[in-house]
Amino acid sequence: MMASSSRPRLTSALRGVSRTLNGGQRQPLEQHFQSLQLNSSAVRGRRCLSTESTESNANGDRLSITAAKELEIKSLIKKLTPKYRLAQHARPVPISPSYFSRTPAFNDRYLVLEKLSRAYVNLPVIPAADTERIAWKTLSDLRQSFGEPVKATDYVKCLAIVKRLHQIHPELKPDAVKEALLDFQRDVQAFLNVATPIPIDKFGRALGVGKRKSSSARAFVVEGEGQVLINGKTLADYFGRVHDRESAVWALHATDRIDKYNVWARVEGGGTTGQAEALTLAIAKALLAHEPALKPALRRAGVVTRDPRRVERKKHGRVKARKGPTWVKR
Amino acid sequence: MSAPNCLRCLVRPTAGIPISAPLAAPIALAHAHARAAPFSTTAANARPRKETEKKTGSKDHSRGGKKLQLGKFKKDHIASKGRSPLPGERKAYRKRITLSNDNAIPVPWLTDLGPEALASAENTARVLALPEEVQDQLRAGEAFKPTQCWGMFRKPAVLVRKETVDLANRMQDAADKKQMLRLVVTGDKVAGKSMMLLQAMAHAHLNNWIVIHLPEAQELTTACTEYAPIPGTDPVQYMQPVYVLKLIQAIKRANEKVLAKTYTAQAHPELPQNIPPNTPLLKLANVAKEADGAWPVFQALWSELTAHNAARPPILFSLDGLAHAMKPSDYRSPAFDLIHSHDLALLKLFTDALGGAVKFPAGGAVLAATSRSNAPRVPSMELALAQREAEERVRQKVEGAEVPQKDPFFRGYDERVEAVLRSVQVLRVGGVDKLEARALMEYWAASGMLRATVDERAVTEKWTLAGSGVLGEMERATLLTMRV
Repeated sequence: MMASSSRPRLTSALRGVSRTLNGGQRQPLEQHFQSLQLNSSAVRGRRCLSTESTESNANGDRLSITAAKELEIKSLIKKLTPKYRLAQHARPVPISPSYFSRTPAFNDRYLVLEKLSRAYVNLPVIPAADTERIAWKTLSDLRQSFGEPVKATDYVKCLAIVKRLHQIHPELKPDAVKEALLDFQRDVQAFLNVATPIPIDKFGRALGVGKRKSSSARAFVVEGEGQVLINGKTLADYFGRVHDRESAVWALHATDRIDKYNVWARVEGGGTTGQAEALTLAIAKALLAHEPALKPALRRAGVVTRDPRRVERKKHGRVKARKGPTWVKR
Repeated sequence: MSAPNCLRCLVRPTAGIPISAPLAAPIALAHAHARAAPFSTTAANARPRKETEKKTGSKDHSRGGKKLQLGKFKKDHIASKGRSPLPGERKAYRKRITLSNDNAIPVPWLTDLGPEALASAENTARVLALPEEVQDQLRAGEAFKPTQCWGMFRKPAVLVRKETVDLANRMQDAADKKQMLRLVVTGDKVAGKSMMLLQAMAHAHLNNWIVIHLPEAQELTTACTEYAPIPGTDPVQYMQPVYVLKLIQAIKRANEKVLAKTYTAQAHPELPQNIPPNTPLLKLANVAKEADGAWPVFQALWSELTAHNAARPPILFSLDGLAHAMKPSDYRSPAFDLIHSHDLALLKLFTDALGGAVKFPAGGAVLAATSRSNAPRVPSMELALAQREAEERVRQKVEGAEVPQKDPFFRGYDERVEAVLRSVQVLRVGGVDKLEARALMEYWAASGMLRATVDERAVTEKWTLAGSGVLGEMERATLLTMRV
């Protein structure tokens, strides 16, 4: 409340007061109200017409829209009585037009955005592809964060404005816009996570790590003539099944690089299939360090994405994860 | 619009069925199901049902219609069982060896092995066919194994590897100097150790050596053939007459020509048949007709072959599955002690030869191959082979070579085994190089067994999948894996 009270534009008007005042005398009255603002910590039974909850005001002070100031009617009357007559039933008038709607928080922001987009419609924009990638809140995120039932159509319209505003040239983007957009960004920005590139060390090795089921593999890939050593054994020694051998070197096979690289790998955990497919991923990643241009080919070969499936846990009341117990008559 | 013929089996229905059967009886709804539809595409349904109708008539007491049947599939089971295979039939099927495939394409550029072919270095990385005669000899000596892929190709052919040339040259050198090559072939699983022996035997046959081959050491030591103590031996030795008879016959068939030209040097009064000096050895071998007298005949044959005062061809004595011959056998002495394999007389001959105690008059070779798939652990043998290999590396001044030593806390070592393997040479068979792999794959492709372009990429792929060119694995990855 303290932070919000410092803002001059958030001064409020009282219905009773506004009746008694003419337009020219409005400013001094607002200043009066400013001075009359009480410290929120001192106030117990206060009346506040903010559309925000008090907690969010205290925390997120960057854009809190307060409908009207807190008023201590009695003291106000006492002060003002000599000069003005103040009605006993005077109540603050909400400045937000959405105060009586079901979704004031969203509506307020929507209005702010509309206003901003009208105001800055002439600023130069950059193509959407060149903008900084930002993960915007999804509809459910938005509903969760505002605690309001936002309509999907409204959300779509609002997000269109958000994206339009985001396209404004970053050097000319006003602070107000930046501030208004902050509320629509997700809390965790996945696009900030940039994978660290795999280095190629002085021996020409690239280390790739791959996992599958409960196996994990580390593969050192160097330029060579197609030799593979896994845990000190050859491919044929380590994997009895031909299928496993093929899947282990699938990344090299799919890109026709099997005679161009040597692989030295360590695998642990899991069974043979898991180890073979962990190796696939590890070799693919290490290969990407040598030749980044192979990424589309490797993705088509299906060796870039980690398969996240694990053993499904057993549930109580079941024999296995899903298997039901045998039906027994009594 | 249905086709007049059965589409699935392409059988044209006979003329009588479709029309005459329904018209013979008045058409009634109750019998409609029994009628064959005139345009049925199902051959089974188109069959006339007269026989079944008769059966359900008045003759037997069972009524028609639904019957209670206990044990739903009982009758089918009994009907489908058929004749069970006779004793030994399954094993014969499992162990049969097919040496040719008439469906395979004959390879035009395939040439037969000559006497010098396996010893010449320019034949390295070439596939050469075994001549008909040598095929018969090798078959008689049981050099072919059921696990090898002979049955895929038009005629048996072998890849000449660097190791082959090396081995053939060592054999030839030994024979030229009238010395004995004592060598153990060892290496990874399915790397081609038995094939190495086969090539050595082929080389020996082509050069008119006498070849004695014990195809499986385990046949001698796992107590699956008869044995009896040899009287007058101390410590007691045991003969295996049935096996020896089989061996004599195999030797006879495999070396017929050479034995016919080799003559006995001394008389053999202990034999039932009179064998004067200067009789062909073939005749001596023919004396063994029954298991009872087989061992003395074999002894006589052996003494003739190793007689130093007569003209003898070089001899190749080979054995596969060495580990079985280097441990206590499963036989028991009368005191119920385990008999050591080296106390079995036939194996004693071999181990003495391998250990250097016997000298062949015209030189020759004693070869043994280890096995990785069916082999008991023999720590002494493993250590001895590792030591011989390391000693060779030390001799060649390979950096970091070190001869492994006995584990002082281990009691499972066998001194007799160590004595035998103290001075043998070791030939390690590993993967082939890419040139050899390519030659082999080209042969496969020319035979129609590999339907892919053989280029650098394909060769490297199979070579890698086979663990750096292990031949058996290459076969598995290329020929034996079904691609659908």
